[in-house]
Amino acid sequence: MFSVNRDFAPPFKLIAPYFIIGVTLYLVSTLFAFSLDISASGYMDPSVIAWVHLFLLGFVMMVILGAMAQLIPVVLENGHFAVDLYYIIWPLLLAGALLMACGFIYSAVLLPFGGLTVLLAMLIFLLDTLMTIKKVKAKLNFAMTSIIIANVFLLSGIILGIILALGYAGIISVNLNELVKGHLYLLVGGYVIITIYGLSMVLLPMFGLSHHFSSRPIKIALFLMTAAVVCVTTASILELSLLSYIGYLLAAVSLLFYLYQNYILYKTRARKEHDIYIKSLYVSNASLIASLVLGVVYIFSADETLLFAIGWLTFTGFFGFIITAHLYKIVPFLIWFERFSPLVGKQKVPMLADMLPLKGANAQLYFSAIGVFLATYGLLFASNDLFRSGISCLCVGNLFLLQNIIYIIRFK
Amino acid sequence: MLNEEIIYQAIATVIDPEVGFNLVEMGLIYDVKIIDSCDVVVTMTLSTKACPLHQMIVEWVKEACQRVDEVRECEVNVVWEPQWNITMADENVKKALGA
Repeated sequence: MFSVNRDFAPPFKLIAPYFIIGVTLYLVSTLFAFSLDISASGYMDPSVIAWVHLFLLGFVMMVILGAMAQLIPVVLENGHFAVDLYYIIWPLLLAGALLMACGFIYSAVLLPFGGLTVLLAMLIFLLDTLMTIKKVKAKLNFAMTSIIIANVFLLSGIILGIILALGYAGIISVNLNELVKGHLYLLVGGYVIITIYGLSMVLLPMFGLSHHFSSRPIKIALFLMTAAVVCVTTASILELSLLSYIGYLLAAVSLLFYLYQNYILYKTRARKEHDIYIKSLYVSNASLIASLVLGVVYIFSADETLLFAIGWLTFTGFFGFIITAHLYKIVPFLIWFERFSPLVGKQKVPMLADMLPLKGANAQLYFSAIGVFLATYGLLFASNDLFRSGISCLCVGNLFLLQNIIYIIRFK
Repeated sequence: MLNEEIIYQAIATVIDPEVGFNLVEMGLIYDVKIIDSCDVVVTMTLSTKACPLHQMIVEWVKEACQRVDEVRECEVNVVWEPQWNITMADENVKKALGA
């Protein structure tokens, strides 16, 4: 038996900026996507890289780190080493994300500064996480192992990112085209996806009330993704293309095992209702499946336009919807915990589901899903008109998301 | 006179805010013992070890028991064996969740 205290739900004022800024930057990054000329851009185009950094650092990492303030103690079964450190992480991450984006758009001189600011934010996050892990006395479980591996990759990815930033700014000479693959795999596969693996095994069974299921597929997925990241990173440093392809294959198989684990959890869940959480997860998994299918097509066609569609579906589809699904669970919980839990037993309190604006949440889901898939068609057919139609829908979905989060925060 | 039924009724006022059902109908209360006619020992579980409301729920159960006039002391033990599953819940819960 483990003891749990209020560290398991840090004050909302500490976490709120992460979610509000994250969702706002999602909207900003989507608006910025209007400026992309997809018929003429390559994947090393500065505008494309700026969008990727704005989306991944500003939205994905911002929300993940905010969620970690609450989830790390839940997963590690220990209170934070120093939860107040989270007060300084978000301003640094915000500044770093904006400096990186501006660096790619306006002046490469800003990139090393942006990179160092992000590194500082991540080092503070890692300090708290690793010191919290040090407090763990229980045997390491799957989620704990995932968090440790993910954080090692995070640190390596950021360091490689700094090297890339110095190279991009012309300060040092490196092979940007090769190293960027290692950077991408370390952070996207190594940190974001492995974090998703770890947290999924805590959160999906918890919200779905799944019991008596096998967790073997996700363990295989973790092993394969770890191997994939090591292969691609090594290949990017040593410039070994065959090793890269082995890495891509391992990553794809790893994601298939992740999907299979999701299916097992879905089949064994006791809660069969189709709420906004589960519907968002459907879209997330559908996006992942679509991007895997396109990945297979890419292997045979080597058509570079497919890379955009794969990246877009993975980022805005797979990551975007799994994150929004959990925002609809985590934000109401934190508000409820702070505002209503002291009133339990004294007066009638709302349930978590009562705090969700259902119409707004559904509108967000439908507009965003249509937007993501329409924009994917635009990318596949190199049609700016179709892409921008999709972006327009996604913008409306983002506005609903922002409105929904504000509604939950102001719920009384 | 204090009996187990009264304690179960008191605990039934504690609702899991995530699923919207009380702990008794969820089947999370494994046992209630009354010692010396006024001290209560509740043995319960939670639907997941990762529950962030763990300590609060234990507190709510304790407070609910102590709101019963005849109760002097209340001890709540959380156990993980047997592991909770949906078959332990009441029929109305299973039906509402679609299990």
